[in-house]
Amino acid sequence: MKKTESRFDLPQGTLDLLIMRVVALGPIHGYAIAQRIQQMSREALQVQQGSLYPALHRLEYKKLLTASWQASETGREAKFYELTAKGRTHLRAETENWNRLTDVVGLILKGTLEGIS
Amino acid sequence: MSWFTRLFARKRMEIDLERELRFHFEAQVADKVRSGIPESEARRLTRLEFGGIEQIKEDCRETRGTLWFESIVRDVRYGLRQLRKSPGFTIIAIASLALGIGANTTIFTITSEVLLDKLATYKPENLRLFAWTADQNRVPIRIWGHWDEATHACTSFSYPVYQQLRRQTTFFEDIFAFKDIPQVTVSVADNPEPVTAELVSGNYYSALGANTVLGRAIQNSDDGTPGSAAVVVISDGFWARHFGRSPDVIGKTIHVNLAPVTIIGVNPRAFTGASSVERSPDIFLPFSMESVAAPNGAESLLTDPNQWWVLVMGRIKPGVSDESARAAMDLNLSNAVRSTMMVEKDQSVPHFAMQDGSRGEDLDGEQYSKPVHVLMALAGVVLLLACANLANLLLARAGSRKRELSVRVALGAKQGRILRQMLVESLLLSVAGGAAGLLLGYCSRNAIPHLMSSSWQTAVNHVRFDWKVFGFTAAISLFTGLLFGFMPAWQAMHTPANSGLKENAHSATQGGGNLSGKTLVAVQIALSMLLLVGAGLFIRTLTNLNKNRLGFQPDNLVLFEIQAPGARYPAPKDLALYREIEDRLTSAPGVRSVTLSKNPLIAGNVSNDDFVPDGMPPKLNGPAFVDDNVVGEKFFATMGIPIVAGRGFGSIDTATSSLVAVVNQRLVKEYFPNINPVGRTFISNKKRIVIIGVSGDTRYASLRDDPPATFYTLYRQQSKSEPSVTFEVATPIEQSAVVPTLRSTVASVDKDLPLLDIRSQNAQISDRTRQERVFASLTSGFGLLALILACIGIYGIMAYSVSRRTNEIGIRMALGAEREQVQRMVLGESAWIAVIGVAAGIIGALALVRLIASMLYGLKAYDPLTFAASATLLLLVGLAASWIPARRAASLDPMRALRHE
Repeated sequence: MKKTESRFDLPQGTLDLLIMRVVALGPIHGYAIAQRIQQMSREALQVQQGSLYPALHRLEYKKLLTASWQASETGREAKFYELTAKGRTHLRAETENWNRLTDVVGLILKGTLEGIS
Repeated sequence: MSWFTRLFARKRMEIDLERELRFHFEAQVADKVRSGIPESEARRLTRLEFGGIEQIKEDCRETRGTLWFESIVRDVRYGLRQLRKSPGFTIIAIASLALGIGANTTIFTITSEVLLDKLATYKPENLRLFAWTADQNRVPIRIWGHWDEATHACTSFSYPVYQQLRRQTTFFEDIFAFKDIPQVTVSVADNPEPVTAELVSGNYYSALGANTVLGRAIQNSDDGTPGSAAVVVISDGFWARHFGRSPDVIGKTIHVNLAPVTIIGVNPRAFTGASSVERSPDIFLPFSMESVAAPNGAESLLTDPNQWWVLVMGRIKPGVSDESARAAMDLNLSNAVRSTMMVEKDQSVPHFAMQDGSRGEDLDGEQYSKPVHVLMALAGVVLLLACANLANLLLARAGSRKRELSVRVALGAKQGRILRQMLVESLLLSVAGGAAGLLLGYCSRNAIPHLMSSSWQTAVNHVRFDWKVFGFTAAISLFTGLLFGFMPAWQAMHTPANSGLKENAHSATQGGGNLSGKTLVAVQIALSMLLLVGAGLFIRTLTNLNKNRLGFQPDNLVLFEIQAPGARYPAPKDLALYREIEDRLTSAPGVRSVTLSKNPLIAGNVSNDDFVPDGMPPKLNGPAFVDDNVVGEKFFATMGIPIVAGRGFGSIDTATSSLVAVVNQRLVKEYFPNINPVGRTFISNKKRIVIIGVSGDTRYASLRDDPPATFYTLYRQQSKSEPSVTFEVATPIEQSAVVPTLRSTVASVDKDLPLLDIRSQNAQISDRTRQERVFASLTSGFGLLALILACIGIYGIMAYSVSRRTNEIGIRMALGAEREQVQRMVLGESAWIAVIGVAAGIIGALALVRLIASMLYGLKAYDPLTFAASATLLLLVGLAASWIPARRAASLDPMRALRHE
């Protein structure tokens, strides 16, 4: 897996949002979550295990996700995560927030980089 | 999963975590293999990408939110291991803490009782004790009860006034009355015994919200016309003592002052009546039984408007302000007084006052509040001392643990973790010390209450060991843990990673490392100084009191009291009874001489009367009152009081001959300066009395007061009745040997008369110095403890200092220092610590002794002798404790010392 040049750091709290968005598509285990985020971002985002699992566990303890052990596609038991009702509401609200925030930030940062080049 | 489930599902969660990460790892490897990378290479790459798997796990664990708790558990385990590793240190630490905390727990049980406990009734905080204040010109009120000299307040009312007051129902739910009778004679199955009684109004139980555990309580119907209901409710203690808690007790008849009374109920164990929270009266009688329990000759106290003796309490209605209730009651009291008593033109009527009734009349609270505060302070100083000692030990230990701490810091332990680790260790010690202290306090809970009861009284005081005591002990344990643990922990927290690792066991120069240790030792010495000065002052007070010339001969005297029950011995039969007993005792074997007196000497009792000498210029300020005592014929001979002029009483002074008196020298000095008083007369109680002799001066009520001017009259010539008198028997044999003779002799006169309060005159005297003795022995005990702790402290710090400076001392010796010089150096260092500590202690003591000045006798609070002796003692102890380290330093072999690692 090559590391892309355009890798960048996610703003605080964004990873939780991305994870929940991926989990919203259906029960999924940690490895697949990482893969999916990578694919969906066209390889731009690579989630490290060191960030992924603490985030998953935190969301689980906050009761936004629930987990169960199921057989994976390879037949091995894996821990599958699912959104809870609470998580679904949370995701909706946070997505809305995010969209508003990016719109607003976009408004300000629009245009050429005059004056700073 | 909730926080708690997470806390206990730790093991399962660990396995799940491992499985989850393992799956991720394997899936990643499998993907790589699928893309054509050989498996071994795929594994290597995946491991690289994963980074530290333990770090990921730790981060996941942190999200559980239970880690801080788990690490505390680990700290506790680690701390326990550390303490087990050095059992000597642990034992000394726990023992010294146990002494400090135990002392505080014991003292607190008394504090709780004397200052905090409330009556065991329904909502005691709503109870108000009625009182009044009056000026000099008040209507003529005779008080039987407590008169507060400082505030001119009194809590006694006449029964007629109480009956009018209780009609007030706007502000009070109920108003009830009670009166403690200190001694009545109760016979259960023909065994007479002195007990305490409380007269209560018919609404007493219902107003207090108290009930009986057996039978019924006293009701309004029991408290009708005098003598209407001969019923009694007994205390739990009385029930246990006499009936073994048998439920058949209801309906049984006992005799109170020879009158038959039926038991109708038994009080709960916690119930102590309305007047005190400390002890319960033995029996409770309705006021209709007044003539039996508190006989007053022919006239009933219940109808006498001038005799104020009944305590009154009200239960204030919720929401009523004390001030509005007081204002209304003031008017009621004024009306009640005017309607029951004659109020002359220039006389004033008492004003109503209201006191907190939640602790009853609370005479003990008033009397012992100061001593108890002083005791608390002393115990507090002992605890501080134990803390300082322990902090010192911990500091010394921290020195030897420097290496361990440095390793931990180097491995990444945060400062907060180290601070916590050290505090956990000291808290472990303090909790263990607290538990041991609680045990100690529990075992010694009955040691101190002798402060409040005489040695010949059965100790009815039951010290309650309740949650309040437990909470207090727990709180001070935690507090001490933080107190003595903080300084060492703070120092440990700032251990730099490299110091302990680089540093060899020695350092060439002394450095400031144990400066805090020396400060602590100085603090210890200062605290010890406080305790020693306290001990010195109280011991000197006690010796001063014991040195006092009594004016009589207290040895080989046995005292006991006889009460003549009014039912069988109405006046003047009581005097005849005393005469009969006196005569029979005189001829009893083993008795040298017998007398009796209204008031025993040095027993806190006095009586006084007006004294107007004939033919002398009248005293300027109103009628003169002097102390007097009613005594038997052989009083002066029996008590060993010399007759210095004229004669003592003799057989020629009879009930019908002219009234005679003996006066003491002090009275002569005050009333008959330079005149021979013998043969002169004076008027007292509207009777003319002839002075027949002058006796030596004796102390009367207490050891502290100088002998007062006193005149003595002969009991045979009394016209009033005496409900009780004290017999004084001079005997050449042991008290225990003569008492059976005394009992059988009295029984031969009347088998129903018990001998009350049998004690020797010396026991009576030392009873008056009970408080002083308790203080002297406690402060000496505390002082001794302080000396030992200071000794350990100085020895420890100097031994540590010498061992640290071995190298330096070696160099000094190699450069030519003499052994004496080295020894002087070490001794000088400890002398400095001692001097600074003593100086600080003297300053502290000077500031504090003012507070106990009123408890001292015969010396100033800043008694130079005590201060000098304490300072010298401490300095000597300081030097002695550092003698061994100093010798060790001086006997070092310079070559070995230089090589010392």
